[in-house]
Amino acid sequence: MWRLTVRNLGANRARFAMTTFAVVLGVSFVVASFVLSDGLRSTFDDLSADIVGGTDLAVRPVSDFGDPIPLDESLLADVRAVDGVAAATPSIVGADNAVLPVKADGTTIATNGPPQLLFNWVDEPALSGFTLVDGAAPDEPGEFTMDLDAAATHGFEIGQRYDLITYDGVAADFELVGTTSFGEDNATVGATLMHVSLPQAQELIGAEGVIDGVAVDVAPSADNAEVMAAIEGVLAQGSVTAEVVDQATLTAEQEDEFAFAVTIIGNVLLGFAVVSLFVSVFIIYNTFAIVLSQRIREMALLRAIGAEARQLRRSVVAEAAAVGLVASVIGLGVGIGVARGLTAIFALIGAEFPEYPTILGVRTIVIALVLGVGVTVLASIMPARAATAISPIAGLRDGVAATRGSGTVRTAVGLVVLASGAAVGLWGLFLSSPSTLGLVLILGTAAVAVFFGLTLCGPMLARPITAAIGSPLPRMLGPAGSLATGNAGRNPRRTSTTAAALMIGLSLVTMGYVVGESVKAGLSNLLDTSITADYFVTDPGQGGFSQAVADELAASDEFGAVTGFRLDTARLGGDATEVQAVQLSTIDELFDIGVTDGAFPGAGAADAVVLHDSLATSLGVGVGDDVPIEFTSGYETMLTVAAIHDDNTVINTPLVTDELFDRAGAADADLFVAASVVDGADEAEVTRVIDGLAASYPQLAFDTSDEFQQQFESIIDNSLVAINVLLALAVIIALIGIANTLALSVHERTRELGLLRAVGMTRRQTRRMIRWEAVLVALFGAVLGVATGIVFGWGAVTAMPPETFGGSLRIPAVDIAVVVVLAAVATLVAAWLPARRAGRLNVLDAISH
Amino acid sequence: MSLLDRPLSRTGSDTVAASAITVSKIYGRGETEVRALDDITVDFSAGRFTAIMGPSGSGKSTLMHCLAGLDTVTDGHVFLGDTDLSTLNEKQLTLLRRDRIGFVFQAFNLIPTLTAIENITLPMDLAGTTPDREWVDLVVETVGLADRTDHRPNELSGGQQQRVAVSRALAGRPAVIFADEPTGNLDSTTGAEILDFMRRAVRQMGQTIVMVTHDPVAASYADRVVFLADGKVTAELADPTPDAVLDHMKSLGD
Repeated sequence: MWRLTVRNLGANRARFAMTTFAVVLGVSFVVASFVLSDGLRSTFDDLSADIVGGTDLAVRPVSDFGDPIPLDESLLADVRAVDGVAAATPSIVGADNAVLPVKADGTTIATNGPPQLLFNWVDEPALSGFTLVDGAAPDEPGEFTMDLDAAATHGFEIGQRYDLITYDGVAADFELVGTTSFGEDNATVGATLMHVSLPQAQELIGAEGVIDGVAVDVAPSADNAEVMAAIEGVLAQGSVTAEVVDQATLTAEQEDEFAFAVTIIGNVLLGFAVVSLFVSVFIIYNTFAIVLSQRIREMALLRAIGAEARQLRRSVVAEAAAVGLVASVIGLGVGIGVARGLTAIFALIGAEFPEYPTILGVRTIVIALVLGVGVTVLASIMPARAATAISPIAGLRDGVAATRGSGTVRTAVGLVVLASGAAVGLWGLFLSSPSTLGLVLILGTAAVAVFFGLTLCGPMLARPITAAIGSPLPRMLGPAGSLATGNAGRNPRRTSTTAAALMIGLSLVTMGYVVGESVKAGLSNLLDTSITADYFVTDPGQGGFSQAVADELAASDEFGAVTGFRLDTARLGGDATEVQAVQLSTIDELFDIGVTDGAFPGAGAADAVVLHDSLATSLGVGVGDDVPIEFTSGYETMLTVAAIHDDNTVINTPLVTDELFDRAGAADADLFVAASVVDGADEAEVTRVIDGLAASYPQLAFDTSDEFQQQFESIIDNSLVAINVLLALAVIIALIGIANTLALSVHERTRELGLLRAVGMTRRQTRRMIRWEAVLVALFGAVLGVATGIVFGWGAVTAMPPETFGGSLRIPAVDIAVVVVLAAVATLVAAWLPARRAGRLNVLDAISH
Repeated sequence: MSLLDRPLSRTGSDTVAASAITVSKIYGRGETEVRALDDITVDFSAGRFTAIMGPSGSGKSTLMHCLAGLDTVTDGHVFLGDTDLSTLNEKQLTLLRRDRIGFVFQAFNLIPTLTAIENITLPMDLAGTTPDREWVDLVVETVGLADRTDHRPNELSGGQQQRVAVSRALAGRPAVIFADEPTGNLDSTTGAEILDFMRRAVRQMGQTIVMVTHDPVAASYADRVVFLADGKVTAELADPTPDAVLDHMKSLGD
């Protein structure tokens, strides 16, 4: 029996090549996602160790909620005074992109890439992790250093003077006095790291007199735990809310912080890998089903001479396992290449990963082998059962039709699976109220059930749908067209399984388009109906900017209502929530947020708050009621609810006044400014004001509402590109599946092709017939895929919360049509080889086959 | 009026429909060389029903395949009418088969996805020409398939399938119909029906049929039997009866 298994593998090498290929693609994507996340994790773990460096203990502020308030710098002297402290240094770090260096050519480094950070320089290598490579330390005001790689990459030279952009605009004329290295290798993963003196840093970041923390080097003679306890004692005496943590905690926290992002990337890739593998299952299943049905006589002969069905089944499954094993091993190698390829593709569309080492972990190898072999064996079990269940005599009789019909039981089961999938989906959408993750899981399960159900019902649909799609073919292509249509419908099970693979890929692509288009429509609708502002100022670096921008706009005669948006965390009615400070008295001239009760307060009502409906309900307050608010600074007061507005709008955080934020010492910087142009304003003057601000704040984007909308749309478009790149692999596997099925069908129909050629079908007509059969199968899959994709898209849009612009379903017919046409064209290409083979068949050999 | 009620219109045996002139067909080389046809010369007259007989390996199928443009010859010339097949390329041969030759095979004669009538008109559909509706209807009616034209092959009996195949061969009014063991897969009654119909197609419709067979009864339906052995013509028999064919085969020591 085993000898037979081995011989079969050898004999059917060509046929198994395609199966192997499908498994290789699926496995390699899984491997790639692990290689990428393992590599990134290793890079970031090294980085974490470098960041913590020789710090034995760290003192840092804490807070029950929100971002903690920085420490007063006087704390430094108290810590230094503790016994056993060899050295203690202050640290202050600007938020990512808070300070941007301006290159010699006047441009800045892109803010959507690796971070750009500004630190205070510490002359204590053990505690800072940085060493000076060239030049001098930035001790004086107006001096700064940069890490040597960033300096080299972006053309910063020692001795030259550069501008720095801060939240407050351009800080001119800083001299680059030196270059530094972070750790031994300056492994900054592409970041730009700058240093200035502590006072200079405090000034640039806008944090005079405070520090973010103190790094402590414990004397070799002292005990870490004792020193830690002593510092805790010092902290307890003062009024500061701070804690002290040890090196292990710091490293672990740092690693966790990075690991979180790496895990997300890894899981997203793994999700797409699972889709690819899921699609491969259909291809593998189909290949085994066809190869086995072609070997049915051989099986029958073996049964007739005494082989048990079980033996045959085991032999087939062993074949599958061998194919799976070979494919998995190849997939391991290919996966490393796929990881690098994905990295390159993502770099092209602007999402750059840092350098990472190639790590092929034991876990990766085990998972790849288990998945590859498991998937192949699973997919072969059903065909193996079907092939061996046939009675020896039936199998030996000539012309046992492999063309089984749709099967009533199969269709019935399919309908039940389909209906339960739909029911679960609808229940998830309308009747249950699960968390976001729960809803995603429910809808995902429903989608898998729908795919399986459709695949089971597929044979019933295959004939009518391919006949309908193929109806214009006879007119276009003559008899090759009608034969292609007939062939596409002659083996509905095969057509259905082949098409299922493409259905899944295209369904997800379609869903992406529907959701993307709907979100765009929702956004556009929102901008049209609820935003009346004409200009928006945003900070692409997300660091926030000075309120002077809003003030300057407000001071201009050309601009009417202007408001900034400051964001901080506060406890409102006891619960921590994000709160935004705006110009409450003028905001209704910029936004129509659908006030349902009350009205925006006039100027001077500093202690007013505007809530959205669901928050007001959960707080149990109405207009005129008082709500307590507590800021991270400890400032507490009572606010009066001035108005309640609709949930379904751009604003979904409580709105308070700038005056309140100022009083509470809450976040100082604006994240966003909206402004309206007065009626009859001089356009040239508006442009002059905007251009002037843009010159002072080069890091900011000044957009009209149209440009603002376009920015959002391009973000959505870019995500769609990324999603489609990842789904492309599933679609490619599906196309390979179509070519593979077709090649096997051509082999199976050798005699029929011979007959056609004998009675006068030309090679070109033969090729055309095969190619169009492929296109019909692909379009069948595309029809199901687009239909399910639209339904899934509707489900996703319905499930989306209002603030994500969901709710209004849009179907981008043109985009979807383009995808379908592309799939059809790709199928024509994929079918080229089997078509050529069919055309080249020797007529005589074929007839006597 | 049925086709078979037409008066006899034999075109006479003077016109040659197909011929092989000093044809050799050699497979393999050197030690393994097989001479399937050995300098064979034979004519097939238009309007006649000719049977080619011979033991296995005598070259009868090879001869038919060469005459039908399905296979190329190593040496010599094959003519269909005035056309020298050895001068034609693959595409021209395909078109020649499509337009001027009809085929009936032993088995697997029909395309399973096409209905009976679609199978019958297939060569013309492939050529993009309009079938002569009246003629096709007449052929279909004559073979008794008028009520079965919309059935697919798997809904037809073996005899019905073969009748569809013969109808397809006739439908384009080809210069020659080549039949390769057309009754090999049928029981004797059904086989007799097919052979009778083929004979009437020749005698009453003026068609030309060349049939390869090893069945003396089948051969007796022909006007003439050509015997082949070792790639050569060994004998001929005009207006054969089954016994005469059998006797002749015995005399060859078959």
